[in-house]
This record gives sequence, C-alpha cells and structure tokens, in this order.
Amino acid sequence: MAYYNPEAILTDAQKAPCTFELAVPGLAPLNNGSAIEHGTKLDLPLWMAEMLAVSKPAGPSSTSLASLDMPPALGPRVLNALSADPKSVELRAQAQWFYGLGERMLDLFDEEKMVELLIDMFSRQTFKQRALEIADKSQNTRTTQQGGDSGDFMGGLDETERQLFRAAHDGSNAVKRWFESSSRS
Amino acid sequence: MYAEQANKLVLDAKRIQNLPHLPPYAATTVRAVTKEVRDLDREVSNLLAPYSSGSSSTTQSSDGTQQIKSSFSPADDPATACALLVNHLSMRRNKRCLLAYHRMRTDKLEGMCWSGVDVAEIQDASASASGRQSGGGAATSSLSAEEEQYVHQYSDLLAAYKGQWTDIDLTGSLEPPRDIFIDVRVLRDAGEIQTEYGSITLTRNSQFYVRQADVERLIQQGYLQRLS
Repeated sequence: MAYYNPEAILTDAQKAPCTFELAVPGLAPLNNGSAIEHGTKLDLPLWMAEMLAVSKPAGPSSTSLASLDMPPALGPRVLNALSADPKSVELRAQAQWFYGLGERMLDLFDEEKMVELLIDMFSRQTFKQRALEIADKSQNTRTTQQGGDSGDFMGGLDETERQLFRAAHDGSNAVKRWFESSSRS
Repeated sequence: MYAEQANKLVLDAKRIQNLPHLPPYAATTVRAVTKEVRDLDREVSNLLAPYSSGSSSTTQSSDGTQQIKSSFSPADDPATACALLVNHLSMRRNKRCLLAYHRMRTDKLEGMCWSGVDVAEIQDASASASGRQSGGGAATSSLSAEEEQYVHQYSDLLAAYKGQWTDIDLTGSLEPPRDIFIDVRVLRDAGEIQTEYGSITLTRNSQFYVRQADVERLIQQGYLQRLS
C-alpha cells in the first residue's frame, strides 16, 4: 500500500542537501543548467539523494556518488529549540512531513549519537508533549476556528500532527453524535 | 525535469482523497510526465549508444522487445553511471507518481460505483462546474476515456456480483430503517414505479408517503429526498 500512498510519496519528495563527489557533465539540467563539478552542493529530493548516497559504482570500497547531509529541518538549531520547548517550534515551517523526514534520515545515518538523540527527540520528548497539546486543542475547536493564537497553532503542525488533530476532533464528535442518537431511540 | 511535474499529480491525488467529488482528469500534466519519461529514456539510450557494440549485440527477445547488450561498466566511468542512475531513478519516480495518481482516482470511482452514484451525473456536475469556470465554454467530462470505460466495466462486474444474491442488496444502506413508511419529495422526474400497492408516477416537486423499501434505491440515486 505504501507504494501507492500519496503521503509516502510526498514524504520522499522532501529535500536534503547533497554534495557530489564527482563531476557529472551529463546532469546539467539538475543544477539549473550549469555543470555539476566535484563538490557541487545541491538540494535533492530524498528519493534521489538516498540512491546517490548509497550507490558505489566503482566497487564497494570506493566513495559513493554523493554524500548526504542532515537537512536543516533536523539540524542542531531545530533540535535544540525542540529540546528547550517542544511546543514552541513550528514544525511545518521546517518540513511538511517532519516526522517522516526524521524517520527516513534515521534509516540513512548510522552515527549512534545522533540517532539516539533523534529517537529520544521524537519518541519521548517532542511527539509526546506535542500530542498532548494537540489532543487538548482538538477538543476545543471553537477557539481554533476563531483565529487567535490557534490559527497559528494549526499552521505549526506537520502533516502527521494534522492527521492526529483531525482524528482526535472527529473521534470525540462521533462519540457525541452516537450518544445523542442512542439516547433518542 | 526530474519528476517535478509528477509531484503535482501526487499533490492532486492527496487532495482528491478528501474530496466528495472527482476533479477533472489532469490530462496535460499526465502527458507532460509521460513525455518526460520518454525524454529520459531517449537520453539513457544516447548515453549508452557508444557502448553497444555493433548490430550483432541487438537481439530480439521472445516478447518482442529489443534487448541491447552493452559493454558499459559502471566502475570505468562513474560519471556516466551517475547520470544513468539519476535518469533511471527519475523514470521510476515518475512511474510511481503516475500509478499513485491513477490508483487514487480508480479507488474513488470504485467507491462511487458501490455507493450508487451515477457516473453520468458526476460528469454533469463537473461539466457545469467547469462551464462556470470557463464562462460556459466546452463542457468536458471529468473522466478520461479510459476511466469511463473502467467505470462501465466495473459497474457491470458489480452488477454481476450482486446478481448472485437476489434477496440481499449488497449496496443497500447499512442503517436499519426506523419506519416502514416515509415521506419523500421528488427532486427529479423518475417516471412510474411499481410497488406492492400499485404504481406511483413520480413527477418533480410532488410528495408521497411510500414504503421505504420501495424507494431506497431512488433516494440513493438522488431522485428522491427523504423528509424527516
């Protein structure tokens, strides 16, 4: 199912900075028409960056075609801000599928310290605290719809969190409706 | 270039997911993406052309496609290998986006078949919507020709499947009825229907007190409106 899932595809379309390790004259269109040299830096979508980073055409001992860096959305600045206060960061401004991006990057990087940091970030700190806030706000949509600070609140959620918000909101509404209809009959 | 057009299709697919109706088929974008795939394929062939040795290496395989044996070795020329890889990945990506887009639409169409929405009616609705946008210009169907064919064949299949159980309406409402008789208003002329108690002529804007089981189908299809 994931192959056909638009969200999975769009998660893969998020960009990460890549540094080419060799000159590729044939790929000028990728770099807005100028040739790609050794050390050219480009923001490439994940589906392409991943394969470039792992494929080593000249045998397993050689360097890969391009090296992949952490996207700025998962850089130290954002991570520090998140550990300071998970609720204050507008994840959507960083990446539309922030958690998806983090998940994909965990697959690609194996530096233990960073991986640990990220996992800690996602599972214990950030997501937990933000989920609480989302659940809270979703029960109280009147303020959300009337703008105020909650308009910004929705704007700061990444796509996964929006789904969570919607699920929490629709869920409680459905229960309310069910109570009403079952008490009537 | 490099699957940027295809991204639009996927964004579209995501949007379609939550829409009650089906927006027009993005024929232009689909054509642009398929053209891009052809361009990429041509580029790959050009890149590989110097490496294919002579006519003897071109063999016709059993399914009729040409297979070119190539002496290209990625280790000798990593730059070309990289270009090939990027082109190949882009083609694969384009394919995935195209498939996802079309699958989303066919899923939606299948859902419409099951819920009993008349496909001709969807086309009317979208035609009037697009007519409004383009100032009463040529009204076109929101389905591509292939999709129309798909819907027709799918509803044939569905009808054949339903035909096996004549006493159960598989596409019927799952809500248990509260009353045996209901008030309905006729929204569109539906002609004469036969019921247990004789025949009724359903003309527009008239109201009837009828057995729910007799008119359930017509309510679903939008001919009648239930008055509560």
